[in-house]
Amino acid sequence: MAKAAAAITGIGSTPIWFRGESAPRTMPELIGEAVMAAVADAGLALDEVDGLAFFAFGFDTALLIETLGLRAVTFAHCVSSFGSGLAGMLDLAAMGIESGRARNIVCIGGTQQIGRRLGQAIGSFAATPDNIFHRIAGLGGPGQALALQVRRHMHRFGTRREAFGEVVIASRAHAATRARAFRRTPLAMDEYLASPMLADPLCRLDFCLETDGALAFVVQSAERARDARQSPVYILGGAQVGTADWGRAFFGFQQDEDAFASAGGGPVARRLYERCGLGPADIDVALIYDHFSPLVVMALEDFGFCARGEGGPFVESGAIRLGGAIPVNPHGGHLSDAYVVGMTHIHEAVEQLRGVAVNQVAGARTALVTGGPAPTPMTAAILGNQP
Amino acid sequence: MNRVSTLPDFSRLEVAMDQWSAPFWQAGGEHRLVMPRCTACATFRWPPGPFCPTCRAKAVAWVPPGAARIHSFTILAQPGADKDAPPQWRMPTLVEFADAPGVRLVSVLIDAPCDAVAIGDPVEIVWQPAANALVPVFRLRG
Repeated sequence: MAKAAAAITGIGSTPIWFRGESAPRTMPELIGEAVMAAVADAGLALDEVDGLAFFAFGFDTALLIETLGLRAVTFAHCVSSFGSGLAGMLDLAAMGIESGRARNIVCIGGTQQIGRRLGQAIGSFAATPDNIFHRIAGLGGPGQALALQVRRHMHRFGTRREAFGEVVIASRAHAATRARAFRRTPLAMDEYLASPMLADPLCRLDFCLETDGALAFVVQSAERARDARQSPVYILGGAQVGTADWGRAFFGFQQDEDAFASAGGGPVARRLYERCGLGPADIDVALIYDHFSPLVVMALEDFGFCARGEGGPFVESGAIRLGGAIPVNPHGGHLSDAYVVGMTHIHEAVEQLRGVAVNQVAGARTALVTGGPAPTPMTAAILGNQP
Repeated sequence: MNRVSTLPDFSRLEVAMDQWSAPFWQAGGEHRLVMPRCTACATFRWPPGPFCPTCRAKAVAWVPPGAARIHSFTILAQPGADKDAPPQWRMPTLVEFADAPGVRLVSVLIDAPCDAVAIGDPVEIVWQPAANALVPVFRLRG
C-alpha cells in the first residue's frame, strides 16, 4: 500500500440548527465560520488557505473567496456529483496536495433548507422529457423513488422492516450520549414499526433529519501534518466511479438486478479497496451515508461487510452497534445526529481516528467514509491515523 | 384496510418532450405503447436519447415492448380534497416488459387494491388525458 500523501489536520463546524432556523445567517457566513474554525484547529492563519475543494451543492466559489478575503487561491475545484461526491472531496483535496497545486486546502460543505426542502426539491424542478415520468408516477422526492429499490430488496432477499428499524434504533442509541444530536430519545422496535408509512415500505423514521449548518476540513501534505497541532488523520485513499446504470441514482430505474437493490456503491467499493490495498476486514469504523435507513443495510453489502442480500440479518445481529462487527455512524448519523450532506460523517471519522469521539470505537485506526447514494459518480474514502 | 389506488388528475400536466421522446407520445396518442430499440444492435434504451448505451448508434425503431409486469412499487398517502377528507392512495409503480430486456417504465398503478398488489403482477397500459398528450398509466390485468 502506498503511503498517504495527504492528511486532515483541522476540522471545524458551525452549530447545527433545525431546518430553516439558521436564518437570517447566510450560507457564505456559515461556510466562513466553519472554515475559520477548521483553520484555527489546524493552527493555521486564514491567509495561508490556498485551496478549496467541495462537491456539487450549489456553492459560489467566487463569492466564498470574496467573502473570506482569500488572496491567493491556486486550487478551487468541485467533485461533479451531489451528496455522492462527499468522500470524493477528500480524494480531490489529496490530489491537489499531491500534485503541488496547493498546500493548505479547505474542504467545505453545508446545507441550509430555508423555504426549500431538499426532499421535495425534485418536485419543484422544471418539467423535462425525462422527469415527466416521475411527475406522472408521483415521485416527488428521493425517499419515494428509493422506496421502489427497497421493496425490491425485501422481495429478493426477505429483508425485514426490523432491519431498517435496527438501523434507526442503533443510530438513536449512539446519538443518546451526544449533547448536540437532534434525536436522542431511545426508540423501541414496536414504536418504529408503528411509525406512519410515508412511502411504503419506508416509514417516517426511515427518513433522515433536516438541519442547517456548515463544516470544513483542512487538508495538508502528510509531511507537514507530522508537525501539525492535532494528530493527523491521513487520507489513505479515495475513489470516484461513475457508471451509466447508476446514473441518476434512485431516479434511473434501469440498473441491473443487483445494482437496483443496492446503495449503488459496489463499483466504487471495489475500486477503493483496490487503490488502498485494504478490504472490509481492515475497517474499524464505518461512516455510511444514511439519508434513509435502508441505505445502511444495502451499503454494508456494497462495501463487502456482508454478502449481497445478507444486509438485513447482518444488521439485525447487532453488527453495527458499538462493539459489533463493524460499528456504523457512532455519532448517530443523518438519522439521529444531524444532516449536513455527509459532512458530519467526515467530522466523526476524524474524531474517531484522533481518539476523541464521544462514542469512541476502542483502538480505531481506520475509518470508511461513503458518499451518498445519489447521482453518479459515487465516491468513498478510507482514512487512517497512521500514514 | 380497503385501500384502493386512485387515478391522479393529469388535466393540467404539460408533458415535456423532445425530438428523442416525441415518437413515444405520438404513439401514445393512438393508445399504443412503444419503446426505442437500437437498429444496429437491438439494445433497448430508456429514457430516449441520442445514443445507444451499448453501441452508440443513433437510429432506433419504436416497437411494442411486450407484456408488462410489476418490478416494484410504493404506496403514497395523498391529502384528500379538504382537510376532513380521507387520504387518497397513489401507487408509483415500475414495470418491466417481456420483450424489452433492460428497460423499465415508471408510472402510476390505478384502481388497484393497495394491500394485495405484488411484485410480478401483470399489468396493462391505459392512456389518460393530460394537458397536451395522453399519458400511460398501469392497471392490474384481470
